[in-house]
Formats: sequence, C-alpha cells, structure tokens
Amino acid sequence: MAFSDLSHLWHRQTNKWIYLIMYGRRASQLLRELACSETGQLTTFNSDAFDQVIKECNEHNLQLQSLIRKIEDENLDIQTTRNEDHFGAVIHHLSLIRNKHCLMAYMYNRAETIQSLRWKVGPVLPQEIQEKLNYSEEEYFKNHSAAIESYMSELDLDLTVDMVPPKDPYIRVRVLDDIGEVCLGDHSISLTKHSLHFLRRTDAEPFISQGIMEEFLE
Amino acid sequence: MASGSGSGSGSGSERWSEGLETEAAMAMETTDVELLKRAWRNEKAAPEILQFEAALVLRAREQIQLLEETLEEFTENGVDDLVVSLYQMDLDRTLFLLRSYLRIRLQKIEKYMIHISKTNLWNRLSEQEQRFAKRCTDIMEKHLEQSVLSRLPYGYQSILKQSISSEEDDMVPEPQLDTFVFCKTKSAVGAFQLDDTGDEIVDLVADDLYVLRYKSIKGLVEGGRIDLV
Repeated sequence: MAFSDLSHLWHRQTNKWIYLIMYGRRASQLLRELACSETGQLTTFNSDAFDQVIKECNEHNLQLQSLIRKIEDENLDIQTTRNEDHFGAVIHHLSLIRNKHCLMAYMYNRAETIQSLRWKVGPVLPQEIQEKLNYSEEEYFKNHSAAIESYMSELDLDLTVDMVPPKDPYIRVRVLDDIGEVCLGDHSISLTKHSLHFLRRTDAEPFISQGIMEEFLE
Repeated sequence: MASGSGSGSGSGSERWSEGLETEAAMAMETTDVELLKRAWRNEKAAPEILQFEAALVLRAREQIQLLEETLEEFTENGVDDLVVSLYQMDLDRTLFLLRSYLRIRLQKIEKYMIHISKTNLWNRLSEQEQRFAKRCTDIMEKHLEQSVLSRLPYGYQSILKQSISSEEDDMVPEPQLDTFVFCKTKSAVGAFQLDDTGDEIVDLVADDLYVLRYKSIKGLVEGGRIDLV
C-alpha cells in the first residue's frame, strides 16, 4: 500500500472520507537528506528529525493500542471486525512501519558509507568526518574497523593497500606534510615536507590516501 | 634463468637446480595466475558471492612467498636490475590480484551480511570470512538496535521483520540476481534455456561474448563452464 494512498481513504461502511494529517513527513525529510548527499559522503547526523520520527512512532503506537482496546471493549472480534476503529488502527500501524523503514534506511545507508570510509580513508577518521557521526555510529566505525583488521591479521595480508592495478612497482612521490622518520622495510626514511622520494608503491599508498603525500608525475 | 653474476662458490649444479626450481615455479605460477585472474574477474562481475577458491588462494600465497624469497636472494647477489624489476612486477601483479579478490569478497559480505548468514551462501565463505561475517552482523545488529530498534514500540523491534505480524523476514537486503553480466564460454555449451518457461533459448558458442542476466547462467558459473568478464 503506497504511502500516498493513505492521504485519504473512502470508508465504505460509513460513507465518509477519512482525512489524515500527512504522517511520515519528518521521515521523508531524513530520506531526502540521504538522496541529496553525494555518494560516499555523510551529512551531519540529523538527531532532531530522527528523534521526532521516533516520537511519532510511539504516538502511533499509543493510538493503535487504544483503538484495539476500544474494539475489544465493545466485545468485537479483533481479527474480523472492519469498522472505523479497525481502519484507524491499520493506518497507525502502516504509518509506524513506514517510519520504521525510513529510520532503518537512514541508519543502514549511513552505516554502509561508514564501512566504505575504513577502506577509503583508513583506521582513523579526520575531525570533519567524526563530527558528522552520532555516538552509536562512532562505535560502529571502530568495531567494524576492528573486524576488518582482525580478518587481515588472520591472513597476514593488508587488504587496504594495492587499491588500483600496479603499473610500476616504484613511484616518485612528493611529501605534502611533515611526516618525520618512517620505517619502510629494513631502512628508515625522513619524510619532511616538500621532499621527493622514490618509494615502493605499496609503501606510499597509505600516505597518499591520507592526502599527506602525492605522486609526482613529470 | 639464474643470473651469471655471483661469487660462484656454490657448485654449478646447485645453482642450476635452483634455477630449475624457480623456472618450474614460474611455469606453474603462470597457470595459477591465470586461474586467479579468472576467479577475480568472476567475483568482480557476479552480483552474489561465489565459492571461495581455497586451494587456489593457498597456492597463490606460496608462489608469492617464493617470489619474495627469490627477490631477496637476487638483491643480495646483486642481480641485474632489469631481472629484479621483472620479478618485482610479477610479484606485484600476483599480490594485487590476490588482495583485490579477497577485498571484493569482503565488501560483498559487508553489503549482504544478513542475507549471507541466513542462506546457503554461508557455505561459500572461507573460515576466516565466516568469522568476519559473524562479527559484522553482530556489530550491525548492535548498532541498529541501539540507535533505532530499542526506541521503537514493542512489536516493531525486529531487525528482520517489519513487525511481529509479518509472516517472513521482509527487511533483509539481497543481491540483485537478474543484473546483466558479460560472459564468455571456453567450450561450446550449445542450446541453453534462459528462463523457466523455455521461451528464450540461446546457443552458447565458444569464445563469443554474451550479455545475459546473471540469474540465467548462475549454474554455469558455479560449475566453472562459463566466465564473466
């Protein structure tokens, strides 16, 4: 039953139109936020809208329960009765489910983006991304990262490097920020700002993806 | 195969057999790299997760280790730079394929974790992948429960069902099996039925490129008779 169908229903028995306040408007706001953001980018967690939708759900539930009780109080069979109270209960139930869909979609989609951040950015998120997550999402990122790291250490293989097919085993890089002494393989290198180096691609990749080093193409 | 430089303090036959071993490893490795490339391509193109190629992965890792050891020896013995970089390229290429293969699988598990855990797709995962999948689902469930479900009214708190009145699990994301994929067979398969009603039959000829719905050729891919490109 599409939500747009619920804006008004013709109730056969009482020959009345049942008009509804547009439920689900706040929930649509959450979805629109998702739709408008660029793929792989997160918007700041909209806790206002989110809490409002939760509140709506609980209100729907109260209404739903009281209508069910009304039917039972009138000694009617809850399974087969089709009066206005029944339809009212159905509308509240469907609105609740619609809101649940939106909330779950919002959280789940954001969670998928958060997963991709571990691959694209690394184990530590920059401040401007951290700010956009709510508390549970921050925990989720940490736990999910840990799961990935656990798998990689079981295999003894770093899967976050080598993201593009190799062309040259060694590349020229320019250091963008002061990184300091770094141990690569069996020797250490001093990565100072503006210095140029000739490194193994897999060694350079984590720095490049963090944006503190760039490939130097002539 | 073995470079001529080096002190030559070992007997000639030692270096000769070493070279032979590496040559044999390189020859075997070529076939294995082809297999790895094929497994990688299939996994990349298929919408659902395929059977984990345990033996192949094991062999690939052994080859990689051998190549790494050979490279170390070469560097110690001052082998010609060109030879070293050829071996290095080979190593990088194999490592990339392996990493990408495992990564694609992991990302499919991330995307469809609940679906995989509840169907026989679970059996296509390696042991480590199964542990990862279990951990992922636990973390995801905890996150969704904490932030959404525990705050919803009783009867609407299930992660799998819309409400307790749902007859089946109606909230689990699934891979889209009727996506179109490009495919090619090495040997002719002949007349092949694409759908249940027998209306669409296609003659699959060797080395011809086809664009078909994954669902129709799922069985052929699993049996290794057709490759995705």
